[in-house]
Amino acid sequence: MVDETPIDDTKTRISEYSRRCADSFTRETRMEEPTKESEPRITTDSLSMSYGEFKALEDITVQVPRRSITAIIGPSGCGKSSLLRCFNRMNDLVEGCRVTGEVKLDGEDIYAPGYDVIQLRRTVGMVFQRPNPFPKTVYDNVAYGPRLSGVKDKERLNRVVEESLKKAALWEEVKGKLKGSAMNLSGGQQQRLCIARVLAVEPEVILLDEPCSALDPVATQRVEDLLAELKERYTMVIVTHNMQQAARVSDFTAFVMIENQGEPGKVVEFGDTNHMFTNPVDERTERYITGRFG
Amino acid sequence: MKPKTADRIATIVFWLLGGITVGVLLFIILQIFGRGLLTALNPKFLLGKPEAMKEGGGIFPMIISSLYLTGLTLLIALPVSLGAAIYLAEYSREGRVTGAIRFCVDSLAGLPSIVFGIFGMTLFVIYFGWGYSLIAGAFTCAILNLPTLMRSSEESIRSVPGTYREASFSLGATRWTTVRQVVLPSATPGILAGTMLTIGRILGESAAIVYTAGLFVRKAPTSPMDTAAPLASYIWYAQTEALIPDFRRVVDGGAAFLLLLVLLMNFLARRLARYYQRKKLAGGADG
Repeated sequence: MVDETPIDDTKTRISEYSRRCADSFTRETRMEEPTKESEPRITTDSLSMSYGEFKALEDITVQVPRRSITAIIGPSGCGKSSLLRCFNRMNDLVEGCRVTGEVKLDGEDIYAPGYDVIQLRRTVGMVFQRPNPFPKTVYDNVAYGPRLSGVKDKERLNRVVEESLKKAALWEEVKGKLKGSAMNLSGGQQQRLCIARVLAVEPEVILLDEPCSALDPVATQRVEDLLAELKERYTMVIVTHNMQQAARVSDFTAFVMIENQGEPGKVVEFGDTNHMFTNPVDERTERYITGRFG
Repeated sequence: MKPKTADRIATIVFWLLGGITVGVLLFIILQIFGRGLLTALNPKFLLGKPEAMKEGGGIFPMIISSLYLTGLTLLIALPVSLGAAIYLAEYSREGRVTGAIRFCVDSLAGLPSIVFGIFGMTLFVIYFGWGYSLIAGAFTCAILNLPTLMRSSEESIRSVPGTYREASFSLGATRWTTVRQVVLPSATPGILAGTMLTIGRILGESAAIVYTAGLFVRKAPTSPMDTAAPLASYIWYAQTEALIPDFRRVVDGGAAFLLLLVLLMNFLARRLARYYQRKKLAGGADG
């Protein structure tokens, strides 16, 4: 679709999105306090990652600011999901995966020996590309995380479930069928349920791996609205192959790409979304966001 | 040849081959039922005591022996095979150790059951001094069925979508919690179906039993140390020795009843699997 759109038109649309993003960005910066709040939540320093012999990412240095949405964009297979999964060490589960360099959460190296991965994943939640609720009831899905951390009290669980579903803008739709299977919900509802499930763990950071790629436009809209609301309280990183989505929802953008087939993905440009979409520094970024490749 | 003609011929050939399989099965079932179903449904035969030299004996102790043996065998084989399956599917990294385990398991699965029977007799009956007993038979049967039970459990566990595991890990669950809360509930239908098929195999096993659990008793066994005579091994005994004047009636009746039991088990396996499937879809696989 993007390929057929005249470049000028795309640019106008992008600058319009950017203006909207810029508005929300200034609102954000006003809220920031000068102390720890202004320091980035996640930083990486010359991060490299390989699957066995294959080097997927090289020399990634980015900073994810607090209470904002950072988008990772780039063509398919450039390693954006791999990068995202470095932030909660989900890559640990992949056999033969090796990470070098530094990933720091609030200044602490999460790849340091002895670092508590379980606690890390409770602090840094994740929403996946395809909605993946457990084959359990709606209630049990949301209560899964709190139960893991030992919450047994019925009333407290009820409260957490209700609050999380409300935050995920799903409560009104499912409050009558909490004991029904999560599998009976629509795709969009399932994805918001997965977001509620993450929120119930009370994370500080939420990673979203192409959360809307399996959803229709209406469901996508609802998830995006939700992200905009959640931004007030959480730091979010979203991987998307959809540049319009990145422009719509994010405050900062990292553009990752592979120069030649077989080479590792690198960050070509990283910065303010508004700035990147209106005035990209790198020529490759400009070509990508105007839809000339990828 | 035209592709269309080839396709038609292929259809006919496969239809015929399928038909032959079903036909042979049907023939066997009809034969066995035709000879023994009337006896097998006779309460006097089912609940009667066996006779060694006279006519009119029943098979009650044999039925009890079979059920007892099946229960004991599962008690031993299920935890071991499930544990091994969980290890192979969830914990192990593919390598030399898992390769060695798989090789051993597959080799075990290929051995004829009489080999297990002789092994069981040597180890449990003679060396451990347990004599012909349910427990010796159960251990032998457990080892015999370990490979299939383990492999079917492993397959069921592997078929649980990886996205469930990812979701669980990403919420801060440990591997054990993930296995307990998410993987096992989803794998249960498959594991149950495999277990039911194994029950059918234990009920029908004779070669591994005759030298370990026993082949003739007058009284139903009560303790696991008692000698037993599971139905299949008693049928083998009655037919081979032919000491009972009406051995044909006993053998045919016993065979028909055994077939009924095995068919029932397979039927239950399917029903259970379907029930769990539905329950899973309706939500609350764990409640």
